[in-house]
Amino acid sequence: MNDTSNRPILVLGAGIAGLTAALEAAETGRFVVLVEKNPWVGGRVAAFHQYFPKLCPPSCGLEINIRRLERNPRIRLLTGTRLAGAERIEGGWRVILTRAPRWVTDRCTACGECTAACPVEIPNPFDQGMGTVKAIHRPHAQSWPERFVMERDACRQGCHACADACEYGAIDLAAEATTEELEVGSVVVATGWEPYPLEKLPELGGGVLPDVISNVQMERLAHPGGPTGGRILRPSDGAPPRRVAFVQCAGSRDVNHLAYCSGVCCLASLKEALYVREQLPGAEIAIYYIDRRTPGRNEDFLEKVAGTEGIRLVKGKVGKVLAADGGLELVVEDVEAGRRLHERADLVVLATGMVPSAGDLPLPVELDEDGFVLDDPASGVVPAGVVHRPQEVASVVRDATGASARAMAMAGGRA
Amino acid sequence: MATVPLIAPSEELREELRARGGTSAARCFQCATCSAVCDLAPDGRPFPRREMLMAQWGLADQLMADPAVWLCHQCNDCTARCPRDARPGDVLQVVRSLVIERLAFPRSLGRFVANVRTTWPVLLGAPLLLWVLLLGLTGHLGVPAHLVSWEEVVPHWMIYSVFFPVTLLVMAAAGVSARRFWVLLGSTGPPRKGSLPVALGAVAAELVTHRRFGCCETARPRRWGHLALVWGFVGAAVTSGLLIVALYGFHMELPLPLTHPFKILGNLSAVALLVGTAILVVERLKDPDRVGRTTAFDTFFLVVVALVVLTGTLVEVARLTLPAAVGLPMYVVHLSLVLTLFATFPYSKFAHMLYRTLALAHERMTRENDQPPDPTD
Repeated sequence: MNDTSNRPILVLGAGIAGLTAALEAAETGRFVVLVEKNPWVGGRVAAFHQYFPKLCPPSCGLEINIRRLERNPRIRLLTGTRLAGAERIEGGWRVILTRAPRWVTDRCTACGECTAACPVEIPNPFDQGMGTVKAIHRPHAQSWPERFVMERDACRQGCHACADACEYGAIDLAAEATTEELEVGSVVVATGWEPYPLEKLPELGGGVLPDVISNVQMERLAHPGGPTGGRILRPSDGAPPRRVAFVQCAGSRDVNHLAYCSGVCCLASLKEALYVREQLPGAEIAIYYIDRRTPGRNEDFLEKVAGTEGIRLVKGKVGKVLAADGGLELVVEDVEAGRRLHERADLVVLATGMVPSAGDLPLPVELDEDGFVLDDPASGVVPAGVVHRPQEVASVVRDATGASARAMAMAGGRA
Repeated sequence: MATVPLIAPSEELREELRARGGTSAARCFQCATCSAVCDLAPDGRPFPRREMLMAQWGLADQLMADPAVWLCHQCNDCTARCPRDARPGDVLQVVRSLVIERLAFPRSLGRFVANVRTTWPVLLGAPLLLWVLLLGLTGHLGVPAHLVSWEEVVPHWMIYSVFFPVTLLVMAAAGVSARRFWVLLGSTGPPRKGSLPVALGAVAAELVTHRRFGCCETARPRRWGHLALVWGFVGAAVTSGLLIVALYGFHMELPLPLTHPFKILGNLSAVALLVGTAILVVERLKDPDRVGRTTAFDTFFLVVVALVVLTGTLVEVARLTLPAAVGLPMYVVHLSLVLTLFATFPYSKFAHMLYRTLALAHERMTRENDQPPDPTD
């Protein structure tokens, strides 16, 4: 056994992929450094209302993972941290990590006095910009580590209202960024994805019409912790929509936008249609699609939704979404009928795809033509989750488990 | 059990489309974005998604008989939005050239002009040769020392003896094609109602401003270029007609002063033709990925039109300012280009005038009641 065998595995990203990879390796006996750019863990799934096809909340699975994380002494979690540089060394990598100042120390009890005192409101990043929060706030109700975060860029110059309000002395406005250098055996890249920006779809009303939202925003609208407390209301006037339209392949499978299929948006829209229908039983729901892509056993889910009263599936990609008489008009050819329809809706959900977050990694990874990280066993880097390929949560968990095994093999030595 | 196939795919058609540059049709995955965004397509019979499928499958009979092929003005709103870069606008442009060739009478001439990439020297050279031969045989090659009028070299009778028979032949050939096309259009789809002359009148009224062309967003300037060109041609034709009547009905003396109403009309037409041609040429030279690709078939027609307009204008300027030794050869070149334009009418892109007009009339006669108002009304 040589002296490099006890180097930890570096996992970049603590979303569902990174958490899984880190836990699998740590529970096998390896040391892991888990790095997350946000001040909290859980990534995209923490914001979702329900998983398909079981329609259960992601929070419960996440809670189990967080408990495993808390108990495991082999995982060192670094939130608010980014990989700043990496250099290949014999049997691994030498990496530089920079940790942004959090300004809220571990004395924080999440009491909320600081939020009450804070004078600045900002659009809520966790709610996809819908609704507002104070500049110092708790990211979301179940956020972990259970500490408040500060959007320091939004603060007023010289303001220290939060520090004055905190009776535990948990606010350190003088905190500074720190940097550390580490040697690691291998790297798991689980940096996840960003939703394709609505603003790039103006012909579908994206970024132009307030009642045209993304599928990810829909998750927040329906979530009990979201901007409306879980009531599905249209953003323009706060009224419950009577007609909801889902536009599939909005900026996906499209050489002008994302050339690939994200593979989850059909199922996500089917799921969202079901919970909209459950909350608003009178609503008319239509899903406009090119193809209904529900691979494997998810075919049953499709059949279930297609057979639900009040939900229509129309074959045809929507070409235009326009404002019309206080509502929205969708122009689409009903391919099966061979006629062009001018359909009305109060709320339009664009099923936008997933953009891999691998562009600015300071690692010599190769990307495919769509920006996903390619497998390269010789590189000492293993991709996991959506940054590897577009996939739904269950696949991400399997992918991350496999990635963890490969990362352990690459790091060498024995657990 | 049925013994006849429901569809008869033509591998030949697919090959021909490929050869003409319609290769992108194969990329279409039938999402129908094109049919949704086309402002020219009627809601009851949207296009061009169905036409893309016909092109992919090689459904020649269906494509030939489809009025939608001609309702398209190649503005390329569909191409700009197509998620597969299947370029429906360009595919339909290629299909139109195929219709012109297949319905041509005689078909061999249709093929000859369709093959313009190799046959263009003949199409441009033969008429020039004809003029030179005619002038040579009648002893008119060369400029006399004391020339009063250009008519001494190129007499009007010679012009009439070429253009009248050619025009008659061309009209007869175009008539056969028109008849074939009209029968094909009526062979599928809803039955026609009303009379053709009434429908043609409505189409003519629509063409006055090219309102339908105005629905296009991606290649918007093309509307104005085409409109100027059409009006320029109408003006030039009216001027020519008036002149012939005046010359032989009222023994008018030539040349006319520049202030004469006929002259003013003619010159205004020339300006419209020049402006229109310039716009269309510039539009064609723009980013072809956006505004549409140009095939040899398109280029030939546009180049001939541009050369006719350009030499025509230069001849007028030359007649006023340059010696006859320079102006006369230019005049002969102009006459030969006009002959190319006329003689290829039923076989070149020029024939779109015939086919699109008939298709627009057919569309008016088959329009469904439940359709929303046409953008042109």
